[in-house]
Amino acid sequence: MIFGITSLVLIVALSLRLTFGRYLGRLPEDNRKITAENFKAYIKWIAGWKLSFLKLERWDRCLDHLVAWGKKNYPGWTAWVFYILSLCYVYLAFSGLIFAWLVPRGLYGYPLLLHVAAGALFAISLTIILFLKAREFLPDKLGLRAATQDKRGFWCPLLGKHLPRSYLAAVAFWVFAVSGFLLAASTLGSMLPYFNYPAQILFFNLHRWSALASVLAAILTLDVMIVD
Amino acid sequence: MNSKERDSRWNTTWKFLLQVAALVIWATVFILATLSFSRLLEARNQTGQGQEIKLKALEKKDWSGSQVSPLHRIPLNDELNQKIIPAAPNSPPFSARYSCEPCHSYDTISQGTHFNYRQRPAVDRRTEPWFLVDEKAGVQLPISFQKDQGFWSPEELGLTDWKFVTLFGRNLNGGGPGEPAEENQTPDSRWNVSGKLEINCLGCHNRSPLQDHSEWVKQVMRENFRWAATATSGLGEVMGMASRLPSTWTIADGPNPDDHEWAVIPQVRYNQNFFDSKNNAVLDLPRPEDERCLTCHSVTRRQAKSRASVDRDVHLQSGLKCVDCHRHDLSHEMVRGFEGEKLSRSTLKSSDFTCAGCHLGEKPEKGGYGFAGRLGAPRPAHKGIPRVHFERLSCTVCHSGLLPEKQPQAIYTARANRLGIFGKAVWTSEFPLIVEPVFVREEDKKIYPERMTWPAFWAEMKGRELVPVDSGEILAAAPEVFNLKQDVARLLNSLLPLAGEGFYPAVVVSAYLFEPNVDGSLNVRLLEKTPLAGKNARDRFLLVQLKNGQVEPLLPEFDPEETPPGLEDKVLSALQNLKSLAGGREPVFLIGKYVYRMTEGYLDKAEKAGEPAPQPEIYWLEGEEYKPFLSAFQVRNLALLGSGPEILTEEQVSLALKKISELKPSQKFAYVGAGFVFSLDEAGKLQAKEHPAARAVSWPLAHNVRPAQQALGKNGCTDCHSPGSRFFFGKIEAVSALNTSHRAAALGADLMKTGQFFQFLFGFTFLVRPAFKLILAACVLVIGLLLLAVIIKVTGRASGISSDSTGPGNRS
Repeated sequence: MIFGITSLVLIVALSLRLTFGRYLGRLPEDNRKITAENFKAYIKWIAGWKLSFLKLERWDRCLDHLVAWGKKNYPGWTAWVFYILSLCYVYLAFSGLIFAWLVPRGLYGYPLLLHVAAGALFAISLTIILFLKAREFLPDKLGLRAATQDKRGFWCPLLGKHLPRSYLAAVAFWVFAVSGFLLAASTLGSMLPYFNYPAQILFFNLHRWSALASVLAAILTLDVMIVD
Repeated sequence: MNSKERDSRWNTTWKFLLQVAALVIWATVFILATLSFSRLLEARNQTGQGQEIKLKALEKKDWSGSQVSPLHRIPLNDELNQKIIPAAPNSPPFSARYSCEPCHSYDTISQGTHFNYRQRPAVDRRTEPWFLVDEKAGVQLPISFQKDQGFWSPEELGLTDWKFVTLFGRNLNGGGPGEPAEENQTPDSRWNVSGKLEINCLGCHNRSPLQDHSEWVKQVMRENFRWAATATSGLGEVMGMASRLPSTWTIADGPNPDDHEWAVIPQVRYNQNFFDSKNNAVLDLPRPEDERCLTCHSVTRRQAKSRASVDRDVHLQSGLKCVDCHRHDLSHEMVRGFEGEKLSRSTLKSSDFTCAGCHLGEKPEKGGYGFAGRLGAPRPAHKGIPRVHFERLSCTVCHSGLLPEKQPQAIYTARANRLGIFGKAVWTSEFPLIVEPVFVREEDKKIYPERMTWPAFWAEMKGRELVPVDSGEILAAAPEVFNLKQDVARLLNSLLPLAGEGFYPAVVVSAYLFEPNVDGSLNVRLLEKTPLAGKNARDRFLLVQLKNGQVEPLLPEFDPEETPPGLEDKVLSALQNLKSLAGGREPVFLIGKYVYRMTEGYLDKAEKAGEPAPQPEIYWLEGEEYKPFLSAFQVRNLALLGSGPEILTEEQVSLALKKISELKPSQKFAYVGAGFVFSLDEAGKLQAKEHPAARAVSWPLAHNVRPAQQALGKNGCTDCHSPGSRFFFGKIEAVSALNTSHRAAALGADLMKTGQFFQFLFGFTFLVRPAFKLILAACVLVIGLLLLAVIIKVTGRASGISSDSTGPGNRS
């Protein structure tokens, strides 16, 4: 129950925050303020027909963009690794969350079988992606990239200043990596004959909460890295 | 308006509000005070004369605090509450109601689990039913006071308390239906003769080695209800049978002076060694021993060759007793020990005695101490078992009952199959046929191991409804159909004069040898090699004689021209025996071209018309036609039944249905068995259809509990999760008294409602799971190392231990 509510609230809140930020980014510099008018206009914008995912062409465009982005950032065969990771991840996130929200029993049956199979592919592709991309998100590389970025970046309330977007991308990347590690480790742990019932419960909770962190990181990645 | 006026207005308003508030407060105080005062007056008035005075219920403790069970040195009273003098002639039997009542409330105890069948708690889970069995007619009908699917209530079957007690008294502990109220005593009953079947306290509590359940059964069968407890306890011997007394007899009538042999009234001869000089009985009555419980609660695999080959429950092996978990207080409401059990009268908390209650302990947030080990129970680690197993399976799935095989195994239960009754006669009955383990998903969505049986009975079809018919009615309608084995046994016994010394006749049919037994039926033995080979072997038979495993042809080969001395007498004697069973036919003995027949009490030898007989045979002469000794119907059906557990064939059922339909043409009848309803279609052909009343009946099992090392899953997930798993793909096929190809069948996965294909697929994944784990472990390792490297790098940089090659001022 707690997980269901928390995950729903966090996912919706982050999505709204990111899309609202994107909406504000479309406005002239002077109008980028949190006002009731802007919020109303944002609602109209986000719920409007223009951006609606009810249109098939919108899905097509998203897919085209993702494929193009994959090709651009992952040369050669590595693009396929990215595509597999994306595909598996979409299924894993949807099956896990939908069952967590709507089915008291949780994930079971054929969706569970597919979830486990997709989980294995996800773990393999994540390992490869980490090998390929981890160095780009190391602090030393980040400094260089941040210096070359001309964008204003995002407002960090803790530091009280704007930070480059590449920092946000790095946070998303490493959160995704760490949660992916926890997801794989908790899956493996629950299958090994070394852990007792309380440990099984721990693994289960670790799995679902790291899945939530992973989803949030994935949404962030989508916003700061993939979608222009 | 100036400021002064405004202020004065405000002041006025405030004053007014304060006045209103004060008035409200005063009014409230007045009302409360008045109410309290009036109640005080009322209470005073109630203490006057004529008023009812009620006492608060006392919290009575029925235990002094001592752990010792006292020796009972008590007077025994009869049913008229008179003290029994054991040395007196014609002493009456003791009455538990009047002997135990002075210390233990009989009425309270009579509400206990073992006595009050009618008022079981609504939340009580299904338990083994009673079985109405008729082995001849192929009837096994589950009867229960619990209102569950597939159970027939005694009321539905028209079983009165009297009938119920005479049928099942052997495993009743008395009380309940054994002590019906006056208004419930039906005209068919003989309670005035038998007396009431009072609660047999000693049946469970008596530690005397003379306590004998078989004696109880014997006394109940003799309708010696009021004498049964005395005879069973060994306190005295009981002679006589109430069942032979006229229905007008009462205990006040005393003995019958004219009959000392047949209708002798039951009388007690007390064993005075159990009484002291003051005529008080000296009884050792501790908590019940396991033997007492197992008398009625034994369950055994039918394949078990001896008691030595059977393991007992792990709890018993560990030194626990049945009553350590299945406890009760004075209410005698037993703790059954299943999850969710709710006791209505007991002061005990049932959750303390469930598997989890002892092995896991109750969580502190639920008021427990949170640690396991009650009664020395080890705490299970359940390593590597995903939590879904604990949510969806009861503990007993993995830990109790027989291990799953390709098919569930046939078992005997003490109550259903009459185990634990010893004597000259064999009491154990093959019916009902019950199997275990069958794993069933119950209403609470959990899976339980259960015992299962398929109802079998004759029924009248009233539309879609099936109403069981008294099997006696069916047997009477078609005796020749049902007495197949008895008829053949009688025929074989008639041939005894033809057998050699020490031999007795038998018959070979198909691959089986049928020999008469002491019950007037046939025992069956499978032959290593049958002499009946070749075409039509199934329709032929061979009369043989048997002695200590030696089998020889029964009918002697001899030259009829020179008959051996004495042989003709033997033939005559056999023909005479057969004559009494002939039913209008004439038995004859054929050899070569001669026929021996009985004429006016003498053996007559004549030439046979037609072809000579190739070998000596006994035939039935009907007119001019020679008919085989055993009819085609008999041979065919004996061959079909063979040595299997079945007792009826489809042909027999079909014939019986035809016979009863001829007798009662306005009614439609059917036979229920093997999970189907068998009835005749319009062409008179037997048809099998599904019907809810024919469906399997099951009830959860809890014992025997196996050690953890023998639990399902001990060898890993593939104990259950594999494409050929016995757990999910074991075939559960209806066992029945009827030999038929129509048998309800299902796989384990069907009863668990988990889906066959899904379980196959899921089981298949376990074949690749080791590889899956390896890959996952490799991924976890690599990702973990990468993350560790990053952490080390970042930490090193932050602490200055590691220098950044690209950072400013790094390279000198």
